[in-house]
Amino acid sequence: MLNMFLAPLSLVATTFNAGDTVKVTISFNYVVGVNTTVKLHAGPYYTNILGKHMVDSCVGSTDLPLVAASTPTPQSTTVDLVLVPKANGGIDNGTYGLRVWIEGTDALAEQDAVIIVSGNSSGGIGDTLTSIMPMLMMVMMMGMIMPMMQGMGGGTEE
Amino acid sequence: MKLRTMALELGVLAVNSVPQEYAAGWYVDPNTGQQVYYDPATRNFYTQAGGIYIPMSYMNTAPKQVTVSPSDNLRITVSFKYTGPAVTGACIRYCIGVYGTFGFTEDLVAIESFNIPQVVTPPSVANVSNSHTFAIPTNIGTDWDDIYIKMYGGTPSLGSDVTPSYIFGYENALIIVGTQPNITEFKIADFAKA
Repeated sequence: MLNMFLAPLSLVATTFNAGDTVKVTISFNYVVGVNTTVKLHAGPYYTNILGKHMVDSCVGSTDLPLVAASTPTPQSTTVDLVLVPKANGGIDNGTYGLRVWIEGTDALAEQDAVIIVSGNSSGGIGDTLTSIMPMLMMVMMMGMIMPMMQGMGGGTEE
Repeated sequence: MKLRTMALELGVLAVNSVPQEYAAGWYVDPNTGQQVYYDPATRNFYTQAGGIYIPMSYMNTAPKQVTVSPSDNLRITVSFKYTGPAVTGACIRYCIGVYGTFGFTEDLVAIESFNIPQVVTPPSVANVSNSHTFAIPTNIGTDWDDIYIKMYGGTPSLGSDVTPSYIFGYENALIIVGTQPNITEFKIADFAKA
């Protein structure tokens, strides 16, 4: 006998460039007593010691009308989200999770580490200065301390 | 408008006499084979775990789920086996709401009064039943999916309203099709560059 498990496929990590638009496909079942419209959101999030944080500038939304249904009814839709470049107040290069949810309900799905963002330009003078500033500070401090250390060397004068 | 029905069979809480009293001590639940302790002071059965006596839960897994929408009618029917004297003016409190860590939040409540005739021979099937029909309101919450009933009062008395001897409920008995959507199997199917 062949035993097989059919497990849901997990999402595969994908690399995007800053500025790309990501189309997220969402599926679910619903029941509702009256025709209504729900708002779906999708966006990247990062995780640190304080928990998970949405990159608000990159969250995309869409309205979806639902027809009244008394039995669980399958539904799917897409939400576009834009990976706004960091230079425009958006997302930095790195690896992010993807979260989708429906406003006003407890419907939420997410998966860690599936959006890899690259392509944020690092050519700006500000970025360059920021990245080398710590090293520059250390060199300057060493430059100040070394002459003092030499002066206290305790050499004997004849 | 549709009529939905939910039946609660109280066979295991059969009213053999009124009121039923047991001596303090250990008993075996005929349905589960589990050893349970009866405390006549609280008129409750307990299980024991880790040296602590735990009251037997009155909430049970629902044998079926009933889908209801605003403006539907939901009829809850209670039945049980009864042996004993005639009882007049007994009450059943029907409740729909949310059962959680801190107890049952009663969102829809109704009380039905009824009489029970004298029964001398123990019946083989449920011989007493009562029901109440709720009109499902438009503001029903999607989490109002639990129901319970308790039976008390009457002459002679079936017991207290506050510490009822006959209480029974079902968790997740209802699927609420309310004005707010009820979402299941919500997932990210795919994502790709647009």
